[in-house]
Amino acid sequence: MRFSRRVVQILLIIAVVTSIVLSFFVWSNTARYQLGKDIDLTESSSYDKDNIPIDQIISPTQVIWHDGKNQKLIYNSKENISYTIQESMKKWKIQAPELVFKKDGAKYQQKIQQKDTIQLVYPTQISVNTLGYILGDKILQKASDKTFDRIIFTTNNGKDPFVYLADDDSYTVYRAKVGNASSLPVLDLAKKSNINYDVQLNTMKQGIRTFFREPISMQSYSYVITSKNDSEYTSPLFSSSKYDISTSQNGDNYIYAYGDSLRLESDHSTGELTFNDYSDNSVPKNRLDFFLRGYNKVTKIESSVSNLRLFRGNYKQKSLIYREYVEGFPIFNKTTFGSVKINFSRDGSTEMFINRVLEVPVPSDQQKTELKPTSDILTGLVNSGYLANDIEDIEVGYQWKNEENADNVVDLVPTYYVKMQGKWKTYSEWTNLSALEE
Amino acid sequence: MDFRRIEIIFLVVFVSLDVFLLLSFRSSQHFFNSGSTVTSTSVEMKKRNISTGKLDSDQQYGYYLGAKPSGVLGQNYNKLKNQSVTYIANDDKISSNLISPLNVNGKKKVSVIDNFMKKDSNILFGEKYTYSPQLSSSTKIVYAQNVSSGAIFDKTAQLVFTVSGDKIVSYTQTYIPSASVLHEKSVLKSEKDVVDNLYTNSEIPNNSKITYINLAYTKLLEANDNTIYIPVWFVTIKNTDNDISSTKQVNAFTGAIIKDDSSSIGDN
Repeated sequence: MRFSRRVVQILLIIAVVTSIVLSFFVWSNTARYQLGKDIDLTESSSYDKDNIPIDQIISPTQVIWHDGKNQKLIYNSKENISYTIQESMKKWKIQAPELVFKKDGAKYQQKIQQKDTIQLVYPTQISVNTLGYILGDKILQKASDKTFDRIIFTTNNGKDPFVYLADDDSYTVYRAKVGNASSLPVLDLAKKSNINYDVQLNTMKQGIRTFFREPISMQSYSYVITSKNDSEYTSPLFSSSKYDISTSQNGDNYIYAYGDSLRLESDHSTGELTFNDYSDNSVPKNRLDFFLRGYNKVTKIESSVSNLRLFRGNYKQKSLIYREYVEGFPIFNKTTFGSVKINFSRDGSTEMFINRVLEVPVPSDQQKTELKPTSDILTGLVNSGYLANDIEDIEVGYQWKNEENADNVVDLVPTYYVKMQGKWKTYSEWTNLSALEE
Repeated sequence: MDFRRIEIIFLVVFVSLDVFLLLSFRSSQHFFNSGSTVTSTSVEMKKRNISTGKLDSDQQYGYYLGAKPSGVLGQNYNKLKNQSVTYIANDDKISSNLISPLNVNGKKKVSVIDNFMKKDSNILFGEKYTYSPQLSSSTKIVYAQNVSSGAIFDKTAQLVFTVSGDKIVSYTQTYIPSASVLHEKSVLKSEKDVVDNLYTNSEIPNNSKITYINLAYTKLLEANDNTIYIPVWFVTIKNTDNDISSTKQVNAFTGAIIKDDSSSIGDN
């Protein structure tokens, strides 16, 4: 009797221990499954292969090389140097950034004009966590989320083991220790550039801008443009074709709606579309979330082959503007909002976009264009009666021309674009003067 | 209090709990295993007796290329000797009958043709072309033109020899003197992406073998008086049941399967 009771007690102990062990396995297994779901949001390798990759959308658009004598904007029309450098940075082991100095305009100017450096310039402020996501660097993804516009590193291989992140808004510079990195392949790429312009980095109302010191000779481009039917937008935007989509028409305006939450308005006369998602009423809680949600939205309407880049992001106003780019310069088409504009708000998200996309590049019949130095453009604006303080922004960009021809081929011609009174217009439109060097 | 009874009740409860936990653990394991088999297309293809060989998943880059019709063949075809040559201006193409047909019996026919092509009086710009077994058949031997960015598999840039018995009796030639890069390099779909995509789109039958997979440029469209070429994966699949081969084309930029018939890539 005593023996059998002892057996029961031993069996009970074994059963209890087994249940604890099994509970642990079941728990940790479920936890891993849940973790896997989270990783989908934070690992860069998880995006859909058929979509345009995020590192192409959020990419530096200018590479500025100080070769010891001059600072030059460089480009290679075969290589896309900025994208290739960002790609090679994926192999680097970058530690969490630490502050070097903040709110010091003089030191900031020195840093961004430092000799023997290469700097990658993003067209808008991004953040450390976002860079971590793009590079697949877990340390940066978890680091304190500082903002910056420029990544600067020296070309004296090994002498400076840091990469610097510079924020134009606050004249702040951070540095992060880098391992497994070499500047030699990057320098080789810089030397291979077939386009280089002498530049100077000047402070303007909207931050630091790249000024061309000499007249610049730029190539024109031509592209076959394509448009889609509205139905090619409704199915990805409304998630599924099975939805009962109601359609109404008012002149050239076509409105598609699903219930009260999703609405797409397509203006066939201008080719502009506006998509409202009233159920998407949470605002992004951090910068990485902000950029990722923008990316997810933009990939629903863009094809996998696209020249689209993030052009401006305003985290305070929760708005993102994307433009198509050619050879590192933005394209200004006829819309007022760029190629795609996204807004997040508590009332829902809004996405405005244009139904004309550059698809296939074709050889251009246009001659090269020689543009004036940037300082001449500013002088021209002031001479035309504008105050220096009126100028909110200035960019060399490409203008759409000859859009209405039979072949659906559009010409892209370089010119200066100036933003004043909240609007981007060509220099000629503001002043009636030519931006071409005489 | 009867402690023994309580112990037995606890024992029954804990054993039942253990059985429940064991079952849930096994079912979650099964979930993971089934998840991984769904994603492994290569394992599925093996099960269906599809042989792919080793597929490269490395990232590759390609360009949009543009070429203008040159008329170079028209300017030079009178240099050719011992052949009756016609230049077709509309297609910028040479069609030639050899006065002394070339013997190509045996296994060395490609090296015989390679030697023949070395002389400018036999074939114009012969050094720019490379034999392409993927485009060739028993009656046609196809050489594809190479440009600095890669091979062109397109009837606008190739040499096609007509074989009759053991002799080459005639050939046609098209040629582009240069192809300019129209856009900076773009990332391409890898060999593995392309084969997975063909399989998931039911383009690869059971019991088949991938005999050739090549990346080459092919004509996309004509615009502004230029021909635009894009990189395309050419995948030849041989059905081992009936020995019939078919070549699929996949746009290397987008991964889209090109449904056009194969006539655009060659005369065969």
